[in-house]
Amino acid sequence: MNRWTARIRSLVGGDDRRARWRFWLALAALLVIVAGGVAWRLTRPGARFGPQDGTWRRVQINGDLYVGLDPSYPPFAEWTPEQIVGIEADLAREIGRRLGVETQILIMGYDSLYDALYTGKVDMLIAGLHPDATLTDWVYYSQPYFDAGQVLVSPRDAPVSAMRALDGQTIAVEMASSGDAAARRWARRLHALTIERHLLPQDALRSAEEGRAAAALVDAISARLYLPAHPGLVMAAEMTVAEPYVIAMRRGDFRLTAHVEQALQAIRADGSLDEIIAHWLLQAG
Amino acid sequence: MRPLRRDRPHQSAPPHVMKRLARPSRHKLFAHLLRAGGLLLVAGALTTLRPAPPRVVLGPPHTVQTVSPTVCVHTRLTDEVDEWKIQRTLHMVREMGAATIVEFFPWPYVERERGSYDWAHADRIMRHAENQGLTVIARLGLVPAWARPPVREKVTTLTYLPAERFGDFARYVGAFVARYGDRLGGVIIWNEPNLSHEWGDRSPDPAAYTELLRLSYQAAHAANPAIAVFGGALAPTNEPEGSGSGMHEVRFLERMYQAGAAPYFDALAAHTYGFTHTPADPPDPQTINFRRVELLRAVMVRYGDGAKPITITESGWSDDPRWTRAVRPGQRIAYTLEALDLVTAWPWADHLCLWQFRQPSDFHNRRDAYYALVSSDFFARPIYEAVQAYALGWENPYAP
Repeated sequence: MNRWTARIRSLVGGDDRRARWRFWLALAALLVIVAGGVAWRLTRPGARFGPQDGTWRRVQINGDLYVGLDPSYPPFAEWTPEQIVGIEADLAREIGRRLGVETQILIMGYDSLYDALYTGKVDMLIAGLHPDATLTDWVYYSQPYFDAGQVLVSPRDAPVSAMRALDGQTIAVEMASSGDAAARRWARRLHALTIERHLLPQDALRSAEEGRAAAALVDAISARLYLPAHPGLVMAAEMTVAEPYVIAMRRGDFRLTAHVEQALQAIRADGSLDEIIAHWLLQAG
Repeated sequence: MRPLRRDRPHQSAPPHVMKRLARPSRHKLFAHLLRAGGLLLVAGALTTLRPAPPRVVLGPPHTVQTVSPTVCVHTRLTDEVDEWKIQRTLHMVREMGAATIVEFFPWPYVERERGSYDWAHADRIMRHAENQGLTVIARLGLVPAWARPPVREKVTTLTYLPAERFGDFARYVGAFVARYGDRLGGVIIWNEPNLSHEWGDRSPDPAAYTELLRLSYQAAHAANPAIAVFGGALAPTNEPEGSGSGMHEVRFLERMYQAGAAPYFDALAAHTYGFTHTPADPPDPQTINFRRVELLRAVMVRYGDGAKPITITESGWSDDPRWTRAVRPGQRIAYTLEALDLVTAWPWADHLCLWQFRQPSDFHNRRDAYYALVSSDFFARPIYEAVQAYALGWENPYAP
């Protein structure tokens, strides 16, 4: 300790000007780093001098959460004479309930959704949106609440869980869908894959059910609508082509996004999300 | 041992010299400032640099290879800023085997001030269309601010054309035909005049539209007697009599004939959409389906105008998964090809122009995005490949 004290004294009060300069410069650099660190801590989003999440503050004070929906997409959102119903409407209300606030659903055309979010007319959008990389500078996308992508459906007694298992077999697809495009890609990768095209996804599913095709690759909504009445078929656990539906919020609303993510996670973990989806798909089917 | 430099005693220089040496020279300071200034200037100059716009070279002229002259598409190049995108669009149209396009040339874009024409964008489109060997049917419409009442008197939309300005619009038609007449497949006078939002948010007026058609026809033929003038471009609508939103297209056409429109158009432009119906569904005045265009044909025959062709300047099916009036992608392909077969078989129809080829941005127009054959980033959708195979006589890649 004494040695260091003596060294510092010699640097501060010594005759060597260069050493003195080096010392003061190092000290100044250290101070700048420390000051920078403190400033960074204090000005982080949500810190004492940092940007505040005004939306979350308003949501807490007023006790309401404004959600934008396009009610033209049953069974996700539909406008009935009484109210807006569907998977997305129920999810919006459930998120509000978990946050301890009342959900106010504002309906709008699909093309107006992002404008409404940008201008602050709504706090979030739940409208079958896919993540759009060109908007991520200001839009925060949540974890998916549904995947409407292409999924394999096969007979329960000969289940197919992945495309690679279809080598040498026949797959039924909906013509010109993203499942059709995926099947074409897999036909190039596998030794042999026969693609059977149908105008409608239901026809492709019927082909798998009747054994003409080893599996059908169709969109998850059609599959989930078809399966309850056809217990001989089973859906693969993993999507072959993902098309996730996500919630969109403003990136600057960092507290709201964090709370909504937590609520969504909880809704998924306790099975409420599956219940909501199953309820509306069963009704639509 | 030789002492280190810092331990050596100071040389015996005079104090004023030592003091001057200890201070930075004024010249050095000036040089530093000069360098810093120079660096700032360079940095400033660098920030103003932008990449050069992509160079667009026309290349040798092309011709369209097709076995089906019926195939036509409505392009959306009006608001396309980048010239390379105009070229790429028309290149893909040619490769698809469509020999004819319909394109919109709004009057306010060209004649922003009365009597002063800016043809730059129209020239660009026409130049590239000609280079690709495409015939352009020009849709003319909208109204510049100077031709509408001042806002302090009346708030109007871009489709509000007062009767006293019909002559000005006709003058624009004449100027357009004089400039591009030889390269045009025809000019469409106005768009969907039987819908109120296309008629300045007023009740549709067949007699007024007939007067506009008459003046435009005369101006177009004065500029180029060989030009084909298309009347109508009527939209299918089931609006009842007296509705403020529109007029049934069959009723509108009948009233056009009653107002004396017959001599003032060389062909009828019509819009016909299938929505969820197959192309084979029979025409029905209360159902909007593809063959409803036959009802317009019946009116023409009834008024002794059966020798004139009908050009379907907008048509198609949407495969938007969110829209209840859309079909699945495979149905869209099947219906479109079936509709092309139908129109080819109709002796009174010459083109089926599909709405729409591509739009500059899909972001704010989802409805039209799912009518497009090509995405805004030039991804050819399956419908493009199917129409291409049809037009070029190839095997349909999406046959069941």
